[in-house]
Amino acid sequence: MSAYFPTMGLEIHAELLTKSKVFCTCSAEFGGTPNSRCCPVCSGLPGTLPVLNRKAVEYIIKAGYVMNCEISRFTKWDRKNYFYPDLPKAYQISQMPRPVCLSGNVKINVNGAEKNIRINRIHLEEDAGKLVHDDVNRISLADYNRCGVPLIEIVTEPDFHSADEVIAFIEKIKLLLQYAGICDCKMEQGSIRCDVNISIAPKGSNELGTRTELKNLNSLKAISRAIEAEIERQEELLDNGERVIQQTRRFNEQLGETTAMRSKEDAHDYRYFPDPDIPPIIFTEEELEEIRRSIPELPEQRVERYVNEYGIKKADADIIVGNKTICDFFDEAIAEYNNPKAVANYIIGELMNRINRGEADMENLNFGGAEFAQLVEFMQTDKISQANAKTILREMIENGGSPKDIADRDDLWIKEDSGAIALVVDEIIANNPKAVEQYKKGDQKVFGFFMGQANKALKGAASPKAIQEYIRSKLEGNS
Amino acid sequence: MAVELSTIKHLCELSKLDYDEAGMKKVMGEMSDIIELMDEIKAFDLVYDDTKDENEISLSDTREDIAEESFPTEKLLSNAENTDGCYVVPKVVE
Amino acid sequence: MDIKRTNIRALRKALDSKEISAAELCGEYFKRIEDADPRLLSYITVTKEKALQDAEKAQAVINAGNSAPLTGIPLAVKDNICIDGVRTTCASKMLENFIPPYNAAVIEKLNAQGYVLLGKTSMDEFAMGGSTQTSAFAKTRNPYDLERVPGGSSGGSAAAVAAGLAPAALGSDTGGSIRQPASFCGVTGIKPTYGRVSRYGLVAFASSLDQIGPIANDARDCALLLNAICGHDRHDATSANVDTPDFSEKIGKPISGLKIALPKEFFSDAVEPAVKQHVLDASKELEKRGAVLVDCSMPGLKYAVPAYYLIACAEAASNLSRFDGIKYGFRGEGRTYEELIRDSRSRGFGEEVKRRILLGNYALSSGYYDAYYKKALALKQEIIKEYNDIFGIADVILTPTAPTPAYKIGEQDNDPVKMYMADICTVTVNIAKLPAVSTTCGYTENGLPVGMSIIGRRFDETTVLQVADEWENGFAPISPKL
Repeated sequence: MSAYFPTMGLEIHAELLTKSKVFCTCSAEFGGTPNSRCCPVCSGLPGTLPVLNRKAVEYIIKAGYVMNCEISRFTKWDRKNYFYPDLPKAYQISQMPRPVCLSGNVKINVNGAEKNIRINRIHLEEDAGKLVHDDVNRISLADYNRCGVPLIEIVTEPDFHSADEVIAFIEKIKLLLQYAGICDCKMEQGSIRCDVNISIAPKGSNELGTRTELKNLNSLKAISRAIEAEIERQEELLDNGERVIQQTRRFNEQLGETTAMRSKEDAHDYRYFPDPDIPPIIFTEEELEEIRRSIPELPEQRVERYVNEYGIKKADADIIVGNKTICDFFDEAIAEYNNPKAVANYIIGELMNRINRGEADMENLNFGGAEFAQLVEFMQTDKISQANAKTILREMIENGGSPKDIADRDDLWIKEDSGAIALVVDEIIANNPKAVEQYKKGDQKVFGFFMGQANKALKGAASPKAIQEYIRSKLEGNS
Repeated sequence: MAVELSTIKHLCELSKLDYDEAGMKKVMGEMSDIIELMDEIKAFDLVYDDTKDENEISLSDTREDIAEESFPTEKLLSNAENTDGCYVVPKVVE
Repeated sequence: MDIKRTNIRALRKALDSKEISAAELCGEYFKRIEDADPRLLSYITVTKEKALQDAEKAQAVINAGNSAPLTGIPLAVKDNICIDGVRTTCASKMLENFIPPYNAAVIEKLNAQGYVLLGKTSMDEFAMGGSTQTSAFAKTRNPYDLERVPGGSSGGSAAAVAAGLAPAALGSDTGGSIRQPASFCGVTGIKPTYGRVSRYGLVAFASSLDQIGPIANDARDCALLLNAICGHDRHDATSANVDTPDFSEKIGKPISGLKIALPKEFFSDAVEPAVKQHVLDASKELEKRGAVLVDCSMPGLKYAVPAYYLIACAEAASNLSRFDGIKYGFRGEGRTYEELIRDSRSRGFGEEVKRRILLGNYALSSGYYDAYYKKALALKQEIIKEYNDIFGIADVILTPTAPTPAYKIGEQDNDPVKMYMADICTVTVNIAKLPAVSTTCGYTENGLPVGMSIIGRRFDETTVLQVADEWENGFAPISPKL
């Protein structure tokens, strides 16, 4: 057991899902050929001025509400001054003394225990551009497409004491932002990013140790590993009687260790001051109320609805709601076929199974919730056998299409052809006299053997019910 | 002198400006005089209240979220050393 | 026709009556520029080719009988206002070869009326100065005395208008940069209310103080130009969404009963006696014409210069950080980003600009912010309050525009503090976002113009123009010999 106790705080940056950038009318969409989503304003040409995007302000207010923050009635924008080639104006428009959101809290669940994480503040700012380094020619190429994409920065209090808590929090924030429609939270595209402030102190100590900041962490796995590695590094330092130096560090994924970024952190004096180009805003109670009311259903409300209205098990509801894409897919499906339990079961039992095996990708599914629901309905109403349903689902995943078309094309419907059942079952009974004998002696388990054989031979052309009835009449009629 | 050499050097660092020795000596003298003039303001003892500037706008005065066509890349880069639609920056040493 | 000190209304008549064509008219100005500007040095760039094309287009509009007030009127524009495809230098080596790919909002508005661009006028580098002697390209001289400064920072615009090298020009005013050169050059210039004219495309010096405005031969031309360039702009969040009147609507109306305040601090010993006397004489004359003079006080004025320089330079330090040699402008040498940016800025900026950047970063840096920058913002609130108090008892305020007439070139070169103190009469107007017009109220024994400023309530340009026009009606301007 370690003699130290880690303490962490987070700074999460999330890009907002606005159509245009925060201070100009260029598209805020991800990607594009270099400098194609730019104009004189976001490229920092002399004489240009920022004009604030209303939607970005509405989104940060929503973010504040979903994290139980106080929304400032008076908010303003500041310039954070520093030179870096990805920042064309040499200042980032951000918020310092008057952020939109203050003091909130978010509940997380770690290993079955609930915990409250306090939010210090959320503020609105602009993203910077991208540098591509060309080491051969010793140059960097600057692309400003991302410059001016709106960001919110969520700053927590130092309320975390393990990597698990950090991961649980980030996952919760991702869900909240996705459900509120504020951010798509694609870590791999950088639309949500996380910096971790981390320090350790001897157990029982009331004081926090010197902290380091971990930057450039681009996956949950990297965050978790980086935290573990950094705690270990700090413990070793203290064990050896050395001191932790306050600095910014990055995580080297290959080596699995953190390294100091050569940073002049001490020289950083950002000289924040109110941006004279952007007037402060005063919100009215009516405006805030309207924004609050426009927040879509959040994860907890959805779980509640699924459990209370649809009778879905809490554990299953949690699984579905735990992924917004799946959850939206579920809602789409039950709009088509109003049998939430059956749809939920088939999503969790079949679809997610295939996703987990890497056979399907929820973000790029070849079919929608409605098609999926039709398949479940066919199964539930004995039009398609379970085995054939699986075949159809595989085909839908691979090539798309509706279950009806696939069943038509591949002849996968249950036909309820009593002649065919009789033919098959009679033959099985004739070929298995021993089993018939056992059944008659009262061994009910043998019945399953007959069902299995018949199902296999009929290839889903008859419903289990019809097969069952015929076998029973045959076995019991012969007695 | 109203200002130390180390302060001027720090300001040069923040401003990304370099002076040779003679230039540094000259600017230090000038900055000392200027800062002395600025120091007069210290005699004024009111406190700034940022909520009383009376320049606020309301949310509805902000811009609607409509994306418009961007600027031609070539024209945007016409004053810059560029390649492949990007600005050319010498290597950044962190 | 004689174009020297001919006002825009007269040119309009001449164009509409076909007395002269638009091309001939701008040709007259180019002749005058070729003749006088080698001595005056008022222009950085002359856009002859573009002007002839613009004039041709304007002529078609005139011929069709669709003239707007500025159709075919030649104008000069200060070289910190961006014009698509026309070199815009801010009189700095940093932007020596910068060609903006877009138009300032005011240029779009002038284009809509079919104006003709004569060229870009000189100024103090990045509008920082009051003499136009910090210009890297054209250290403009005063047309009344070539040994003297034209004022600044819009010295090129004021000198060009005074000497008849343009009928009118755009300038910009951050702490007096339209009014003070207008005063030194014996012409009329107005700094509009902050937010009246879009700043989009004006290369920023101090964003909370900058405002574009006209410099012209008289208040009527100023009104006419202001009519053309004012109005809310969706590209400038600080441009005011207010009604725009016809700025000449009060011109010619009597000023009887109008209360004119004379704050005593503006007539202190810091102002030269001859200047004081001319302004006070003018106030007496206005009193004769029906105005009521009101005594008042502005105690905050003694802190105004430091407050102004702290705010202006803090914003400037940030605004000028974007000049790094990468995206535009002078690109120095360096194997790393850090080296390149330091070299570009150290060699691209002139000494006064560098001093102001240093001062601005001083005011903002940690440990000094509260003592300087925040204190300056408190002063700003105090100055606004004191102006509000005065406007409670008066309609306009009358002050000298500058403590002295035009001084000799080189006189203030080595004394930034003296140079800064010379702004005492103008800076509070920018701090309080007020409109103010400067017009000539007399001439010194040496024949140098003396200017007075009429300051109005926010968005009350019509009244200050009315008073200026009333004064000008009884005043006989003396043209420079140049």
